[in-house]
Amino acid sequence: MAAVAESRSRPRTRPQHVLRGPHARREARVGLLFVAPCFLLFLAFRFGPGIAGLVLGFTDYTIGDSTHFTGLDNFQRMVHDPLFWSSLRVTVVYSVIAVPFTIAASLGLALLTRRAFRGSRLFRSVFFLPVVTSLILASTVFIWIFSTKGPWSSLMGLLGLPEQSWLTDSALVLPALALVGIWSRCGYGMLILLARLQDVPRELEEAALMDGAGPFQRFRHIVAPQLKPAFFFLAVIETTNSFQIFDAIYVMTGGGPANASYSLVYQLYDAGFKYSDLGYASALGCVLFVMTVVVALVQRMVLGREK
Amino acid sequence: MRRRSTTALALAAALCATAAVAGCGSGSGSGSSAKKTVSTWVYPVINDPKANDAYWNGLVKGFEAANPGITVKVSTYPWANRDTALTTALSAGKGPDVAYLIPDQLPAYQRNLVPADQWMTPADKAAFRPSALKAVTVGGTALAAPVLMSSYPLLCDKKVFDAIGETTYPTTWDQLAALAPTLKAKGFYATSYSGDTTATLNMTFYPLLWQAGGDVFSADGTKSAFASDAGVKALTWLKTFVDNGWTPKDLVTTTPQIEQTDLAKNKVACTWQNTAAEVEPFWGKENIVVGPALGDTAAVAYGTVGTLAMFKGANTDAAGKWISYVAQPANSAGLEKPGGYFSPRTDAAPLYPGDAQQEATEKVLGSTDVGPLNKAARDVMGVLAPQIQAALLGKTSPKKALDDAAQAADQLIARKR
Repeated sequence: MAAVAESRSRPRTRPQHVLRGPHARREARVGLLFVAPCFLLFLAFRFGPGIAGLVLGFTDYTIGDSTHFTGLDNFQRMVHDPLFWSSLRVTVVYSVIAVPFTIAASLGLALLTRRAFRGSRLFRSVFFLPVVTSLILASTVFIWIFSTKGPWSSLMGLLGLPEQSWLTDSALVLPALALVGIWSRCGYGMLILLARLQDVPRELEEAALMDGAGPFQRFRHIVAPQLKPAFFFLAVIETTNSFQIFDAIYVMTGGGPANASYSLVYQLYDAGFKYSDLGYASALGCVLFVMTVVVALVQRMVLGREK
Repeated sequence: MRRRSTTALALAAALCATAAVAGCGSGSGSGSSAKKTVSTWVYPVINDPKANDAYWNGLVKGFEAANPGITVKVSTYPWANRDTALTTALSAGKGPDVAYLIPDQLPAYQRNLVPADQWMTPADKAAFRPSALKAVTVGGTALAAPVLMSSYPLLCDKKVFDAIGETTYPTTWDQLAALAPTLKAKGFYATSYSGDTTATLNMTFYPLLWQAGGDVFSADGTKSAFASDAGVKALTWLKTFVDNGWTPKDLVTTTPQIEQTDLAKNKVACTWQNTAAEVEPFWGKENIVVGPALGDTAAVAYGTVGTLAMFKGANTDAAGKWISYVAQPANSAGLEKPGGYFSPRTDAAPLYPGDAQQEATEKVLGSTDVGPLNKAARDVMGVLAPQIQAALLGKTSPKKALDDAAQAADQLIARKR
């Protein structure tokens, strides 16, 4: 008994799963062998093109022509390109609208479908459906929804707001696109938060209930802290996703009206595939990459300080 | 010892991987010029996939029988994102030997193309309509062989005109504008202008610019020329239509499927942005009135030319024979007729004898423009289209919109030269 008590009180100073010796090394090699195909594919189709893109950003690469190293020319050109600043602003504004609302909508849906009730699985499936629906297809429908004669305009009319197409208004086009983004992404966020919510101990909430805590207090002091890692994950994923917004814009507005929805990835696409200016397109890709990494690091500092 | 063997192993693996990657990049596509295989990329000019396959298979069979030793492989790709696919393939060294291109694409791919002078026979060259040959000539060099032509005259919906009791169809800006208030009062639009920036200006704004007497580029192609009095006049005229609700405002920014548009619902009187074949399923053949090209100072319509171009790396002799074979009137007729297109050659037999609409459309071929053949043409569209949108939506004046676009365009043109 005393030995058991001693072993329980002894602090664990060494990790439990560190294996040593020839057997362990053989096992590690086998593990690496299993990982190797995936790792090689990653190198060939993700890491390799990524590095190539980075290098091309410092050249004047155009298809069928000789390529020259141009140093920082593409980046200097970017600094003086008003379209770059405009597309950067569009990307940031879109993200500022889309990311928090997507997480909020995901949280709302997760809390609604958290408890098992009759039809809860059906609701979860329905809420998840937009994630697996083609955004191109959905965007075609949203063009009609947001048109002057569409239901969204009629709804605005009922609320006493002007009946107009949100896609033709420079101030409203990004909120309209963000709505589409939120619609298409909140099902995924719901799933992540739902999984995390299942791990929140019921006893804690019940104890708080006994102590007279209201629903908001229970959520704020018990549920929300438990969801922090999931919020961090969602913030990174959704920010990355919204920085890369392209398909809905391409189908719904073509970057208009008057470049009011012309995003950074749209500019990258046009530079690369419309104007064959692949060096500049690669430089834009580098900036997008740096932006994504910086924002992810900031999010990690703010949201992910605790493990 | 262990470290040395590990290093050797890693080196060998790296070499293997390099060899594998190199192997991936040296496929057939555009290989040596000694090969006798001609890979050809086409698009669904013939909408029906079965008819499209039957046409190309029949042509390949006939060509291979007449030219033993040459193999032709035809692949049909979707229209959507065709430049993305072609650019990517060329970049990877997997591009085709021959591809279907429109004139707008020729300057963009000029570096990759074998000039037609190196493979087009003098007899073929002499047989093309001058406007068709002009449409494939960039900087004095013919880059492709025309295989079909189309024109976009002013089409009017008889049903709409019957509804307002009008029997005279407009042919000029003033006539169309004069009819617009009556049309609006009865719930119709005078026209439907597509201002979506993904739509080519060749079909939308440029015809108005040409009709007003203006042009996109200066004669030597070194400067933009649209910010002229003619340009301001064209944009102001168009803005009047948007401001007065004579054209659907939603279309200034979005392009829905044609069946979702007012054009398909018999709510639009006239269009210069569609062909008879496009509107026929919605208007009915009996309601299509084919007019001349819309005019102001001049009567000019957009028209396109479908071409076959040869890419570097192809066997010039084999690919040249194949292109020449397709371009023969008897062979290209099967490509032209299903879509209502016309032959680009003067030695072709009439394709639509007795069809008054097609005969009227064919008459416009002489007054069509395919759009500017300039390396910076697409870049210029990229800066001009949003400014046109801004002017039409009242965010800026037509003059300022064109001036701002011209300033940006001139920088782009200079960079492309």
